[in-house]
Amino acid sequence: MEESRIGIYVCWCGTNIAKMVDVETVAKEIEKMENVVIARDYKYMCSDPGQDLIINDIKEHNLNRIVVAACSPRIHELTFKNALKNAGLNPYLFEMANIREQVSWVHTDREEATKKAMDLVRAAVVRVNFHEPLDKLSVDVDPATLIIGGGIAGMSATLMIANAGKKVFLIEKNKELGGNLVNIDLTFPHMDSVQQLLQPKIQKIKDHPNIELFLETEIKEIVGYVGNFETKITTYEGKEKELKFGNIIVATGLKLFDPSKIANYGYAKLPNVVTSLEFEKMLLSGIIHKENGNEPKNVAIIHCVGSRNEEYHGYCSRTCCMTALKYANQVRSALPDSNIFDIYADMRAFGKGYEEFYTATSKRDIMFLMFDQKNDLPIIRKAGAKDKCDMIIEMNEKLSGESIEVPADLVILMTAMEAYDNAKDIAHTVGISMCGNDFYIEKHPKLDPVATTTDGVYIVGSCQGPKDITDSISQAWAASARILAAISTGRVDVEVTTAKVNEDVCCGCQTCIMVCPYSAISFDKEKNVSIVNEILCKGCGTCGSACPTGAIRCRHFTDKQILSQIEGLMMTSVQKLEIIEEA
Amino acid sequence: MSIRVNPGFIKELTKYGAREWNACFHCGNCTAVCSLTERGILFPRKEIRAIQMGLTEKLASSPEPWLCYYCGDCSENCPRDANPGEIMMSLRRYLTSIYDWTGMAARLYKSYAAHLWFMIFLFLAVIAAFVVFSRIPDSPEVKLNTFAPVHIISLLDHILLIFLGSFLITNIINMYVKIIIKDKTVKIPVWLYFKEAWNAIFQFATQWNITKCQRNNWYWFGHWFLFTGYILMFVMVIFFLDWFQTEEIHPFYHPQRILGYYVTAGFLFATIYFMIGRYRKKKEIFKYSHHSDWIFVVLLFLLAFTGIFIHIFRVNGMALPTYYAYVLHLAVEVPMVVTFVAFSKWSHLAYRPLAIYFAHLKKSARALQEKNKIEFVTQ
Repeated sequence: MEESRIGIYVCWCGTNIAKMVDVETVAKEIEKMENVVIARDYKYMCSDPGQDLIINDIKEHNLNRIVVAACSPRIHELTFKNALKNAGLNPYLFEMANIREQVSWVHTDREEATKKAMDLVRAAVVRVNFHEPLDKLSVDVDPATLIIGGGIAGMSATLMIANAGKKVFLIEKNKELGGNLVNIDLTFPHMDSVQQLLQPKIQKIKDHPNIELFLETEIKEIVGYVGNFETKITTYEGKEKELKFGNIIVATGLKLFDPSKIANYGYAKLPNVVTSLEFEKMLLSGIIHKENGNEPKNVAIIHCVGSRNEEYHGYCSRTCCMTALKYANQVRSALPDSNIFDIYADMRAFGKGYEEFYTATSKRDIMFLMFDQKNDLPIIRKAGAKDKCDMIIEMNEKLSGESIEVPADLVILMTAMEAYDNAKDIAHTVGISMCGNDFYIEKHPKLDPVATTTDGVYIVGSCQGPKDITDSISQAWAASARILAAISTGRVDVEVTTAKVNEDVCCGCQTCIMVCPYSAISFDKEKNVSIVNEILCKGCGTCGSACPTGAIRCRHFTDKQILSQIEGLMMTSVQKLEIIEEA
Repeated sequence: MSIRVNPGFIKELTKYGAREWNACFHCGNCTAVCSLTERGILFPRKEIRAIQMGLTEKLASSPEPWLCYYCGDCSENCPRDANPGEIMMSLRRYLTSIYDWTGMAARLYKSYAAHLWFMIFLFLAVIAAFVVFSRIPDSPEVKLNTFAPVHIISLLDHILLIFLGSFLITNIINMYVKIIIKDKTVKIPVWLYFKEAWNAIFQFATQWNITKCQRNNWYWFGHWFLFTGYILMFVMVIFFLDWFQTEEIHPFYHPQRILGYYVTAGFLFATIYFMIGRYRKKKEIFKYSHHSDWIFVVLLFLLAFTGIFIHIFRVNGMALPTYYAYVLHLAVEVPMVVTFVAFSKWSHLAYRPLAIYFAHLKKSARALQEKNKIEFVTQ
């Protein structure tokens, strides 16, 4: 092994790190360590001048290992790896010490924080000695795409990819395309006809030569990896079909919460308490009416039905506030003399044009009443003979502090939106994860919002969380662009920090096959050893730790590397490193 | 006890000049910037909420709208341009109407035409009365007390006083019932009535709260000058008319003339200040003028204006012009007094200090209740 020549770069992150960590002392102390050629501190390592510093030092001082002490590697590891690449160094000869999230942001004692920062940097320095250069792996990409779900998100993605000349298999479990929008009358805040937006798209999909549409079909199992997936489907005619595709978009959408779970609202017991979707159907039919066909005099709209309440769903369903305002407008136009009550918890008008929509709606003679959606839900009861209305809503109005009675003849419940019951099955089929409330989780909430931890699988629309049409389409097109880019490149890089079986040591117990969460290990019966599919392997290390004979070695996370890192962490001061023998 | 909301109420209040009430989304900035709110006496957000929800009983029992002198800080700081200042103003008009059991105030406030025609009728009635009952004296000298004998005018003044006073007093009783008696959430111990009285008297006499609220002290001065002038005129006309309306022309330093000049100056200063303000619409208080605002200042101005002419003609011995000016003076005064004192804007002279009194009574009583509750719990 060539001699290590390590460069250390301690980042100030403006004042983010520097205010709590004495970065200069850290750099000076670490510079004394064995094999360290140079140690610097700089205001913003991730900036172009910061990266140039590394690149120039590599060339000038002939460095062959780099340690950056800065933020979380989730944020800038790739930045620095690219800097190494630009300087002609293998990007795996790099290690990052997180002294921001793990030190400066979470500690209050400057001296102790500086000590901890030094410990972390020492660990990284010792570890980086044992890093080995690794080469990137890439695979061919099948130009076809599988899209699961024919709602507005799935349809938008389908059309975009198909219009780019690539094959799309669109799978929809229902008899018709369109998803939840099939039952929606108007959009908010523009009050356009949803059907006029939706129906032409459906027709285009049906007519498109690049799209193969499978209605009333569900996906049971998918095998393969990014660029090369396979599935077998049974169409509604009963035909079996084998599909091959390089990427997957999951656009399975969501469903409405069942409001009869909230006893206060008497849904399914009181005849004129309807869900938002039932009211949409009423609007599509053209007449706002009570169950007996009469016109309602008092219309109440209740927000947050099942949303933002830990007993039901803690999250905000995002679209209901504006939908409620849309209803208020539609009722006001259809029934000019009616009394409209908008019973809300907070008016969330965050999107483009929403606040204006709220302002305009509030001027249409609508009584807005605020309730506590966490602890104090309104109660709907039948009205008495003297009340001159069918129902009474009893509530504690927050802005006035009064207990009030609201007359109502028709109550619209703005029901929460929730994941489908079988969301977990689909997640398992395509190999993606879910967050606490059964919505699919994205790779990174800010920086990678449509990808998943499984390469080649994207989530778009409201299967990722409640969303309006605009956001669903934005996501669909974002994922489409990602997939078209991959198809156009023809090949995709796959991570090489994977597990590798030492066939001489493997005893063929197959423990690794049982523990692998990605089904990446298969068994070679002839040789009686396990074989890792490097493309499916995510390098999680589970097999490596479970292997009883130590036959599995995880690249970039070898025992030697990890033990040396621990050794470095435990060093109290600068001391000579004892070479740890690989177990 | 739940209160039923009343969505129709806001249409009613709109007739009193409320506008943009629906723009309010209750951020509370108005209450926060108001220099007159204090712990236990909060406005205008709470009142706007009661308006939006149609909580009429709550509004009727709240003295707060009267505590506002309309500096306009709330309207300037409203992020939604809901004009809380003007909403409070319209609420004062509405409250005046509901204190008034005759329904006259509501009619005058809601209809410009009704107010105008009623005044024109009174104006012509006064002139007609002089035409029918008065004879112009033959003497070339000014014989005002022959034209309009002071004891008859004084008698008529007293009749008018009793007539309007009984309306005002019954309205005040009504106000007391609505604010204090009907509000079952608070019980006021008798001794508090004495303790809180001095503040109400002080506010009545000085209107000191305006200085807390108006950054321009000219407004306070104008308002106070007009108020003191009016009180002086009232006292002189009702109790000392035979001293005030004399044939004898006193030297200019005589108290009778000095007092007359003071009243006139107060009226002119304030009405011109208000009229220019309402015309230019720069200050929040002057931005929105209800018909009652305009009629009020114009009549007060005309009252002073005709008064000046009576004086000039009389001092210069011009008999006939004096009589005509006198008739016009009374023809302006009677409609002014009849429509405004008990049924419109002028009644705030009584309602505002009383409301300050009631508000502090309630506040202190509530504080006592809280204290007793805490003591009860700790025991």
